[in-house]
Amino acid sequence: MIEFIAQNMAPIMFASLVVFLLIGYPVAFSLAANGLLFFFIGVELAPYSNNEITLSWPLLYALPDRFYGGVMANDTLLAIPFFTFMGIVLERSGMAEDLLDTIGQLFGPIRGGLAYAVIFVGALLAATTGVVAASVIAMGLISLPIMLRYGYDRRVASGVIAASGTLAQIIPPSLVLIVLADQLGRSVGDMYAGALIPGLVLTGIYMLYVLAVTIVRPKAMPALPIEARTLGTGVISLLIALVIAAAIAYAAYIWLEPTSGANADIWGATIGVVVIYVVALVDRGLKLDLMSRLAQQVVIVLIPPLALIFLVLGTIFLGIATPTEGGAMGAVGALIMAAAKGRLNLDLVKQALASTTRLSSFVLFILIGARVFSLTFYGVNGHLWVEHLLTSLPGGEVGFLIGVNILVFVLAFFLDFFELAFIVVPLLAPAAEKLGIDLIWFGVLLGVNMQTSFMHPPFGFALFYLRSVAPRVPYIDRITGRQIAPVATGQIYWGAVPFVVIQVLMVALTIAFPQMVMHYKSKAVEPGDIQILVPPPPGEQGLPGSLGLPPLGQPPTQATPPANGFTPAPANPPATDLSKPPSFN
Amino acid sequence: MAGLLALSRAIDRVNEFIGKWIAWAILVSILVSAGNAIIRKAFNMSSNAWLELQWYLFGAAFMLAAAYTLKQNEHIRIDIVYGMFSRRIQHWIDLFGHVFFLMPFVLLMVWYFVPYVLLSFHSGEVSTNAGGLIIWPAKLILLAGFTLLSLQGVSEIIKKVAVIAGVIDDPTPSIPTHPPIEAEVLTDTAEPRA
Repeated sequence: MIEFIAQNMAPIMFASLVVFLLIGYPVAFSLAANGLLFFFIGVELAPYSNNEITLSWPLLYALPDRFYGGVMANDTLLAIPFFTFMGIVLERSGMAEDLLDTIGQLFGPIRGGLAYAVIFVGALLAATTGVVAASVIAMGLISLPIMLRYGYDRRVASGVIAASGTLAQIIPPSLVLIVLADQLGRSVGDMYAGALIPGLVLTGIYMLYVLAVTIVRPKAMPALPIEARTLGTGVISLLIALVIAAAIAYAAYIWLEPTSGANADIWGATIGVVVIYVVALVDRGLKLDLMSRLAQQVVIVLIPPLALIFLVLGTIFLGIATPTEGGAMGAVGALIMAAAKGRLNLDLVKQALASTTRLSSFVLFILIGARVFSLTFYGVNGHLWVEHLLTSLPGGEVGFLIGVNILVFVLAFFLDFFELAFIVVPLLAPAAEKLGIDLIWFGVLLGVNMQTSFMHPPFGFALFYLRSVAPRVPYIDRITGRQIAPVATGQIYWGAVPFVVIQVLMVALTIAFPQMVMHYKSKAVEPGDIQILVPPPPGEQGLPGSLGLPPLGQPPTQATPPANGFTPAPANPPATDLSKPPSFN
Repeated sequence: MAGLLALSRAIDRVNEFIGKWIAWAILVSILVSAGNAIIRKAFNMSSNAWLELQWYLFGAAFMLAAAYTLKQNEHIRIDIVYGMFSRRIQHWIDLFGHVFFLMPFVLLMVWYFVPYVLLSFHSGEVSTNAGGLIIWPAKLILLAGFTLLSLQGVSEIIKKVAVIAGVIDDPTPSIPTHPPIEAEVLTDTAEPRA
């Protein structure tokens, strides 16, 4: 009996983790407690285990260093608070409201226009904030009442809003991708580059879905009537403005090319954008009315977020900044934008900091708990057990990917992405690597898949957020004076279903067309100078997240670190993939 | 009981004070990081001490705020089952978790971190990066974080026992099932409900 337990510690430990987590005590401490409990059991049973268990008391001395080197001194994870803070500040500064109002007016006159506007703004917000709650609630508060007023189908309307909000999960800079990159031991920059095209394709598919609905059921998404177009017409004026801006940009490019060479295109585009922005501001300020009001408004509202996107993503993709630095620049940019709108005050900063600290604290403590768990789980050869389980799936690489994606899809009903990323992904990664699967591709697949965890009825967060702001009782619309029926919870759930299907389709597309992700390898990165200037902090060694584990059975003396500050036994560094450009974070 | 509750209140106040003020470390970290990036590009200069300061500050924020986060009941749970129980059973689960999950872990960590920090302090350990910072303060932050968590654990246990015994009112009468895991950006407009 004891032998049986000792030789099957890994499955027993995993099963009991499920029980520990389901009890409902905070995940971080349940993970740690499970790890410690089985550490003690494991040490006691080690003699009976036929060398299956390689745990011994001195190994516990490795824990402080795993927390210090792998969690605290970790430049990758530093991006989490930066992007969170940026997202909250932007949300509080009312960027989403301005965008929705204006883009809604721009697209409103066509059938399904408000839905396109929601998707477009959702993608735009996703590229700046990466916070799902903010997008969904803003859109639910602003766009949903307008959609209801003009007779949009409730299911379609709520589905579009919830799904567009979750785009923040897959379009860089998203927190999921940071965590996945950390857990898979890859660079965040590569992960962002890999996720960009699938994210945009997904946005396109959402729009195609709206188009399909407008064709099949035109009544589900009517165009805005004339009286609702408060900004008036003026699309032609906007087009003219854009053509002029493009012309200025091209002229600047020609003019600058001899002097600034390769950077001329960026500078040219910047000049064109700045000129049109300043013209729009002056035009409105002096009431010259060179442009239509619609054109003014679109230019003024759209350019600051686009500039911010360039500041963050542009600099990361061009290799100018590391993702962490990009996050910091974005956070400062968000503060400046809020200040420019006159909405920056002490209260806003305090609230944003409080939320950011809370989020950072619980996320990093899950990681800490996961590190305790993995110390024991590896000690009982749990990684080999999982690897064996997964690599024995029929169908080789594709079979593995399908199996894993079904698993994650099912788990996403119950777990949110932090839990999935810290508990499940480290178990999957070694098996994926063994099968020769590119880990960035794998990470993006998981990212698209985990996006569904926000949309699954009945636990999806995006649905919660939308439910919390959608009307529960009939109300009198203040424009039309008609009574509007509430949105039923069932309608929100059913509305999400087509988008969950789209999500599954997108996973399939990403498996079928890896090129969408793989282009990250060819991107010209010159990480040389960055890598020299930003050395990894001591003890980090680019460990693949919680997988990094000091070799087992080392002499206890090594567990206390030597004075030079290096991790004792810098845990078998992950097989560095030399075929890809060096990471630059 | 009154004495214990006074102790609990004192611990709560200390951790609330620390948890609220340490949040500013994140803002400083952001400014330092942005400054580093700009200075590196503009003047081609870089200092490892300043780069390390970024994660020193962030480490301080998330470690020292962990106890406050516990007090605010913000560490996330998987509440599919938990959410179905009555509040009374939830109290018992929490008490069980505090005693058997939280306390053994954090106390053990305090136990292991004391020699770890002392060794670093006595050896004057310095970062291996040229011009890097001394290490022991960072390790001390980890020790401090676990110490504060242990204290908060004691406070939570006292409060739970008092609530179960009916001595005090439940400080958090309703736990929203499945609270938003993202920074709950908008508690004022939204309270997610099942």
